[in-house]
Amino acid sequence: MKSSLFKRVLRSKLLPLVAVTVVVVAFFGITTNGFLSASNLRSIMISMCLSGMIGVGMSMLLISGEIDLASGYEACMGGIITALLIKAGIPWPAALLITIAAGAVMGGILAFLVNKVGLMGFISSMAMISVYNGLDYIVTKAQDVTITAEHASFYSLGAGTVGFLPIPFIIMVVLMIIYGLILYKTEFGRTIYMTGGNRAAARLAGVNRKKITSILYINNSAICALAGSLVAARMHCANAAACTSGSIDAITAAVLGGVSFRGGDGNMGCLFIGVALVTFFNSGLTASGLQSYWQIVVQGLLLVVALCIDFVNERSRQKALSQVAI
Amino acid sequence: MAHSLEFKNIGKLYPGVKALDDISFRTEGGKVLALMGENGAGKSTLLKILAGDIKQSEGIYLLDGKEQDFKNPHEAILAGVSVIYQERQMIPALSVAENIYAGFLPKKGGGIDRKTLYANAQKIIDKFGLHMDAHTKVARLSVAYQQMVEIMKAYSRNPTVICFDEPTASLSDAEISALFRIISELKEEGKIILYVSHRMAEIFQVADSIVVLKDGKYVTSMDVADASEEKLIRAMVGRDIGDTYANLKRNDKYGDVVLEVKNLNNAKVHDVSLTIRRGEVVGLAGLVGAGRTELVRAIFAADKVTSGEIILDGQPVHFKSPHDAIKAGIALCPEDRKEQGLVLFRSIRENTTMPVLSELKKGAFLDKKKEKEIAQEAIEKYDIRTDTMEKLTTQLSGGNQQKVILGRWTNSLMKTKLLILDEPTKGIDVGTKAEIYQMVCDIASQGIGVIFISSETPEVIGVADTIYVMHNGRITGQLKREEATEEKILALAMD
Repeated sequence: MKSSLFKRVLRSKLLPLVAVTVVVVAFFGITTNGFLSASNLRSIMISMCLSGMIGVGMSMLLISGEIDLASGYEACMGGIITALLIKAGIPWPAALLITIAAGAVMGGILAFLVNKVGLMGFISSMAMISVYNGLDYIVTKAQDVTITAEHASFYSLGAGTVGFLPIPFIIMVVLMIIYGLILYKTEFGRTIYMTGGNRAAARLAGVNRKKITSILYINNSAICALAGSLVAARMHCANAAACTSGSIDAITAAVLGGVSFRGGDGNMGCLFIGVALVTFFNSGLTASGLQSYWQIVVQGLLLVVALCIDFVNERSRQKALSQVAI
Repeated sequence: MAHSLEFKNIGKLYPGVKALDDISFRTEGGKVLALMGENGAGKSTLLKILAGDIKQSEGIYLLDGKEQDFKNPHEAILAGVSVIYQERQMIPALSVAENIYAGFLPKKGGGIDRKTLYANAQKIIDKFGLHMDAHTKVARLSVAYQQMVEIMKAYSRNPTVICFDEPTASLSDAEISALFRIISELKEEGKIILYVSHRMAEIFQVADSIVVLKDGKYVTSMDVADASEEKLIRAMVGRDIGDTYANLKRNDKYGDVVLEVKNLNNAKVHDVSLTIRRGEVVGLAGLVGAGRTELVRAIFAADKVTSGEIILDGQPVHFKSPHDAIKAGIALCPEDRKEQGLVLFRSIRENTTMPVLSELKKGAFLDKKKEKEIAQEAIEKYDIRTDTMEKLTTQLSGGNQQKVILGRWTNSLMKTKLLILDEPTKGIDVGTKAEIYQMVCDIASQGIGVIFISSETPEVIGVADTIYVMHNGRITGQLKREEATEEKILALAMD
């Protein structure tokens, strides 16, 4: 049993990624000052959370063969809703619950467009980017919505710690564990893989794809809204620009980690490594003094690299397929 | 001088596998050479090497006495080698003419010379004697006609060598005879023709000589005149199969009517009525496009039903989705294993247990131990050749893939009353075919009603107890096995 686990680790595609992450950490650790300091490590953990949490819902969608490009904007909307509710005097736990419910509604809209109207998730979520982004600016009047110090108990959700670990990091890891278990151990998780792996075959084997993907869209947007709230808690305010890079960051991290862009493959371990790699990389670039606009460029290039790796994987799969004798 | 093609000591190594080992033979223009062998014998690999798709590890091949070394399929095409693969490689949104000349469109000025394009394409179509308009979009053609377009595409490049890889797998008898007429014309033009097929009868009709491969090795070659079915099977499998159908242990105890279909209609199915009893194997025969697949998909609720009744165990049923049909005890093994049957990059275990996951729960989680038992049961029951149930189904041969699907629908947690098999032996070698026939009979013996669809008429006659023949979405006749002959069925199928 032990040896088979050892073999699985060896054969797993996670291993090279862990190695790359170690190299990245070592490189920036040596070349820049204070990269491996406790405070920087903690801030890296915190900055993992937005893409990490969005990545949880996004990975589930990707594995099922769907995608939500508007995730970052849903997070943004979530942060704004929380901030406005708290400002209006609603206690933060209630505000958080309402925000998550609002997220679920946003996901419901996508689920409706994809499964009832029959549009592609890629296109419909792209359209929703604009809708949410515009609404964010209208609702906030392009200003920060500040969460004042009287609601300081809410701040700890964004940057508080338990021991060494930041609370949002713990929330992210707990989510990854829960969804990891759902994927690996439950009937629902299995059907996600089957649907993503072969839609037609899954349907003919009795899997209800529409139900599954609807749940996943709603789930994703709800998690996004929560993630946005945590960002607002950390920043003590919300605005229309806060989380907008969330979608691309999450997709980059997930795909880089080995969640297949074409569906049917990936897990939460992949996502975690992907998020860690991307965040260490970005933080290292900041520490080495690279201009932040260049970081955006690098971020895009990283996604290209991730997609290339995914493409090569897919091609070797197809090749494996064609080599099977008739 | 006649063209010639010669393979000398060709070998192909994959990590851990020798797909081809020291293959040598020669053929010449104006002859059809049939390549035969079971699945995994290496026929497709050899064609891929010739097509420049993959590179051989050892040996050389010579075309007209000159050594060739194609680096990619384009070079092979330019040198006069055309391979028509099983998978069609068409662009559905373009016209027949554009597909025929894809990559080699006639130019005039800066654009495409449409007049010449369509005129030339129509010339080829007429030469092939097909009723087809060069302007038709390929998407609107039947599978069989798409196959014909593929052949015309190969022909348009004026090749010296034309290779057919299982060209008849999705063709009906009438279309096959059209294909053979074309092949004999190509022969007369002095082309070298390589022909890969599993179907014995075809080989005797179309080939001049036969090369048999087994497990990547050359076994023997013979002239068709000296060949017999027994001889070939012995060479291919290394043993005698005897009369497969006569040796089947059939079920003769029928129970109550399990399924009754009354006046079923939808876009492709017209006024179909049939009944199936428990333990009975009902065959559906007909030409490709006769509506057999559409009929069973309608019963399974994979396609819409516009009117008519489906009565299961005496109760009228109205399924909304395949999910409902499965819950009620109907199972479908679809026509296209790879596209619709299996999730290829998931394991045998996961593919086997897909419809019974809800019965495999321990609390909120799946009961992995019980799941493994179900998968193991299928592996043993159907003799699926694998070292582990965790093997991805893409790594299995076609026969073993089909067995995984059979295992899925007949495991002990399924309450299958009616099993629908749509072309279950398509692309499967003779030895495994015989195994699958017996499995079908065994399944019937358990009191399950079986619908068996096949385009190989002898197979339907050999396996089914009752045969319905379809044509244009209608049932045109019903025969008992004892009274059925290929001629009678063909007459009904062409109506």
